Amino acid sequence: MNQLANPQNGLSSPSDYIAIIENLANQANEAGYPTLYDVSMIIVGALHELSQKGDTVALNSDLPSLLNRWSTLIDAYQQNAQSAVDGIMTVLCHPDLNLPLDEDDFSVFATLLAEELAANNISQHPETTTLDEVVTLQAVDTLLLPESADEPVTSIQTATEIADEDEKPLSAMAQELVELLDTEASLLNYRFLAIPFDGSPLEKEEHLELASEELERLINASKMVGFDGLSQVCTNVNTNISLFLQAINSFNIEKRDLFIDWISHVKDYLLAFSKKGAGKQLLAHMANPNWAQPLTAEASALLLPQMQVTGLSEATAEEEVHEKLATDDDVSLALPDDVNKELLDLLLQELPSYTQQFSEAIQRLHTGGSSKDIDVAQRIAHTIKGSGNTVGIKGVAVLTHQIEDILMACAKAHKLPGEALINTLINASDCLEAMCESLLGFGEPPADARAILQEVLDWAYRIAKNGIEEANSQDAPIKHEAAAKSSTDDSAAQPQKDTKTEQTESTQVAMVRVPTDQIENLFRLSSESIILNGQIYERQRRLKNQLQTMESQFTLLQQLGADLEQLIDLKDLSGRSLVTASKDFDALEMDQYNELHTASRRMVEAAVDAREISVDMKKELEYMNEVLEYQQRLVINTQEAVMQTRFVPVGSIILRLQRGLRQTCRLTGKQGELTFSGERLLIDGDTLSALVEPLMHLLRNAVDHGLEGTEERIALGKPTVGQIVIEFDREGNSILVRCRDDGRGLDFEAIRQTAKKRGDFQAGDIISDEELKHLILRPNFSTRNQLTQTSGRGVGMDVVNFQVLSLGGSLSLQSVRGQGLTVELRIPLPLSRSHALIAYAASYKVAISSKGLTQVIYSGIGELTTISNEQVLIVGDDIYPVVRLEDLLHVVDRRKERRSHSAVLLVQNGNKITAVLVNTIIDSREVVIKNLGYYMKKIHGFVGATILGDGSVTPVLDIPELLRAPIRANVTTHTNVAERIDSGSNLPKILIVDDSLSQRRALQQILTDAGFRVQAVRDGIEAVEWLANSKPDIVITDLEMPRMNGIELASHIRSHANIRDLPIIMVTSRSTQKHRQMAEEAGIDFYLIKPVQDDDLLSKIQILLDKQRTAVAV
Amino acid sequence: MDVQHLETAEQQDTDWLSPTAALTQFLPLETEVSTENLIAHTETVFGFRVGSLGFLVNSDTYCEVIEQLKVNPLPNVEPWFGGLLNLRGNLVPVIDLQLLLGETSTIDRKTRQLFAIGQGDKAMAFWIDGLPEVQRAFSQPLKQLPPLPAVLQHCVSNSYLHEGQIWFNVQFDELFKTLGNQGSGL
Repeated sequence: MNQLANPQNGLSSPSDYIAIIENLANQANEAGYPTLYDVSMIIVGALHELSQKGDTVALNSDLPSLLNRWSTLIDAYQQNAQSAVDGIMTVLCHPDLNLPLDEDDFSVFATLLAEELAANNISQHPETTTLDEVVTLQAVDTLLLPESADEPVTSIQTATEIADEDEKPLSAMAQELVELLDTEASLLNYRFLAIPFDGSPLEKEEHLELASEELERLINASKMVGFDGLSQVCTNVNTNISLFLQAINSFNIEKRDLFIDWISHVKDYLLAFSKKGAGKQLLAHMANPNWAQPLTAEASALLLPQMQVTGLSEATAEEEVHEKLATDDDVSLALPDDVNKELLDLLLQELPSYTQQFSEAIQRLHTGGSSKDIDVAQRIAHTIKGSGNTVGIKGVAVLTHQIEDILMACAKAHKLPGEALINTLINASDCLEAMCESLLGFGEPPADARAILQEVLDWAYRIAKNGIEEANSQDAPIKHEAAAKSSTDDSAAQPQKDTKTEQTESTQVAMVRVPTDQIENLFRLSSESIILNGQIYERQRRLKNQLQTMESQFTLLQQLGADLEQLIDLKDLSGRSLVTASKDFDALEMDQYNELHTASRRMVEAAVDAREISVDMKKELEYMNEVLEYQQRLVINTQEAVMQTRFVPVGSIILRLQRGLRQTCRLTGKQGELTFSGERLLIDGDTLSALVEPLMHLLRNAVDHGLEGTEERIALGKPTVGQIVIEFDREGNSILVRCRDDGRGLDFEAIRQTAKKRGDFQAGDIISDEELKHLILRPNFSTRNQLTQTSGRGVGMDVVNFQVLSLGGSLSLQSVRGQGLTVELRIPLPLSRSHALIAYAASYKVAISSKGLTQVIYSGIGELTTISNEQVLIVGDDIYPVVRLEDLLHVVDRRKERRSHSAVLLVQNGNKITAVLVNTIIDSREVVIKNLGYYMKKIHGFVGATILGDGSVTPVLDIPELLRAPIRANVTTHTNVAERIDSGSNLPKILIVDDSLSQRRALQQILTDAGFRVQAVRDGIEAVEWLANSKPDIVITDLEMPRMNGIELASHIRSHANIRDLPIIMVTSRSTQKHRQMAEEAGIDFYLIKPVQDDDLLSKIQILLDKQRTAVAV
Repeated sequence: MDVQHLETAEQQDTDWLSPTAALTQFLPLETEVSTENLIAHTETVFGFRVGSLGFLVNSDTYCEVIEQLKVNPLPNVEPWFGGLLNLRGNLVPVIDLQLLLGETSTIDRKTRQLFAIGQGDKAMAFWIDGLPEVQRAFSQPLKQLPPLPAVLQHCVSNSYLHEGQIWFNVQFDELFKTLGNQGSGL
């Protein structure tokens, strides 16, 4: 490598330059430049003197920079550039060299050099460098000198050396591409060398045609690889071949050598293609007048900038075979068939805000803006791309991918996009917004998406090809040929597009995203309405009772009035003396009335009226009752509608479970097939997501512990593929999940042995299989001695049991040796409302929920007897065990004599029906079940509590639960639970750091499903804050994140003593060597490229965990 | 009128200062007006007692004394779980700390008060002795926490000794979680 080429390479003392200048001087002497040799040696002598003095002062001036340009000057001089003479003289005259020469001496040297140059111009290279070539070179020189002064163009360097200098290592792929072109050029060389000049012209013609074909290949190859300048030069050479073919007789050896020289120039060019001024010699050679059609100086000057190829280094190299043509598929918003609903939801949730932020950043760039806006827009594009790829929406991913490339090029070149590019970006951001709206179901997919993507692609292509500056300087992108082509076949593509649109529409309906809090609030309000309605109902009922009383009072009053009237009449007849109104008539001849009569009659009439009014009122009340009932139905419907918003089909977790099974099968090398039933069942979303984890554990256990290996299965006569069935069913207000496998079932003997070792029971104890079943639910109980990836994390039945218990559910096991194990989970669904009987248990007023209630029998039916000290109820042919409600609740009836029960409740608990004796049932009504506050989540035996019409609060009882475990929670259960929690915390903890919500969730899901405890944070800063108080086993981080990126986070971790050894996995979409190297330097253990393969990630985690374990063991 | 009156006062006894001068003649000491002290004075806390223990509640924590609300007892729960309150449509658990912490009763049950800490469904109510008092923030916490009942061990951040009474600064959120777990049997 020519060290003078690089002023930054640290040359600091005069002696550093001596050897190089001396070397160049010798070369010049050999090339026939004695004056140049003399001048060089004078400078060498001066430098010798300086170095002997140990003088470095001289080098503080501009001398080093001049010396650094020395080789450039020599090159230029040898190419007859007059300007080089001045440059050489500037060095020679430099005062720091302290040459004992005066101005006359200097001018003599200048004249000598100029003469030497002129002489060489004519005599030295009459064939290879013609005057025209010199002119071209000079024309090109003037174009390039201001920028290329520091860099020689003729230095022959290897591709790797160039890479070193540019600090952009060529990717392996780029090197391959260059080698390909080089090989092609060599082949071409053979073709030309093979042209016979002693044969017939026909033969010559044939060989020349073959060479032309070969050249065509070189043209195509260079075009494909991105060497557009070279391809145009080749085209020009090919034109020359066709011209020579037309006059084949004039094609002589000299002309052939023209091609041979050309090829050597091409090879030189390929060694330095990324340098500024690369290909100058090649172009100069093309100006040789011996060509049938030489290249003009203007054409060379135009071609020269295209000769320098920079896009081959780094990331772009990998995308060199650039997408040029936008297809309908590229803008399709169709969801993949196996779309992950949860991830899609997340994407839809984050997409609107991202597209908005992106638009804002682009708008800011439009009105000025800064490089910060480019960074913001690029980061958002990157995030959307990632999410789009994760979910599988190609339209979004492709567009943002291209935008990201463009913005990245802008950021790298520290250039703001020009007017035309900004317009394209604005169009693209609009298109992105339209795509987002369409995905959310608010509109059609953007019709111009393909055109816009094409526009973006054209820009990306041009930027990759010519660099951002060049691309930016032009107003609008040159439409790619492909683009023109695409518009012509638009009509053909149209029907296909329509079908895509329909597909997309059919899978999506208009959605509104509402915060969960708001739904909760709506739910609470609807519950309050039901409670209030209940209170009005209660009031109305009392009113009705009072009215009833009043009515009977009125009837009595009416009766009394009638009696009074009768009495007055009687009195009247008997006591004639009372009325002496007329003497002419007998009392029977005419009725005589006094005030008493009138008053009594009026009273009777009033009583009748009052009764009638009360009857009317009763009717009104009844009508009001109807309205209230109607209102009650309405509020209940409202509540159900609100509840519906939280309901999801069980089937939505099937894909996840299937994936979990496949993973476990791969890890264990067993074959298993998973089938489902009841997947259409709708249940509360929270309960369903809480179910996933225990189900995953069950599946892993079924494969790892249950299913036998293929050979063993064949030997046992079982089908090779193990069958696992998961059944969902609804039982009352619980969801019943059965996980059944056809494996080996529980190995009771192994369990017994392990239990003995653990000291769970004494050697002499007789333990039933039923008790052994319960043992495997104990914390950290495992019959395995060896740790495996699937079950080696302490994930056993104990964890499942704990999870089920914390959901308020229960777990039961049914095992048949050699035939398989069935695990049954019974998870209560959150109850919001229930029909309940209001009763008294001793002094407590309680509501008994209808859960498990099969029948209410009033006292007198059936016979209570005692059979072998157990009280039973015999009804018809059925015998039920009997328990009193007070006993279930452990409350003492203070009354000395037990009152006889007034009702019997037949309650189903599992397969058993128990008769529960209740003293008094005071009411039967619909109650709203509330939880007992945020902290008191669940109390054994209570579904919750309810507020009754009078404002009082009563617990709502879960009789089946009380029947299952009537014992009050005591201290020992606390410790058991503590142990259980502890067993859960044995799982390795993983910290996920990623700024994209969907990426975070996707990783979280994979890892949780694989049995890890996962904590997710949004960026490096949050991770650092979290790490201050907790220590995970592994950190998985993204590379690019706002505030603090993955590299900075890794550096932070590596510099803190307590977390220094924390394994870090980086998961990123950056795939280049440069990024990998940066990550490696920052101390990343594994570098994975998105989209990450689950197995790959899990195996890497396992490797790191194993390493950690070994380290701890050592 | 005022001026006349002042003149009269001055006439009466020339040694007397004018009321304004009398009121402004003493400048407060610098330490008394330093902002630090002002902050210290405004930082008040509520203190309530349960048996021999004193608990502090930050003044920015929502709390209220509840009167005239019936506590609805629950069967089959720990004795210290007094029942539920219907506080504006929210069910609030009532905790008898005295029973929970095994404190001996020092006050007549009739004079105890219900004191709810927290809002909405995140509230819990305690039976406390008398009414809560406003306490000045104590500057020097005790270097070591005195022995605490097991339930309180993870919930007390520091403690202060003031006039013979030990006051505990309680993280109520933690305490509620612990109580919730114990009450729920989890």
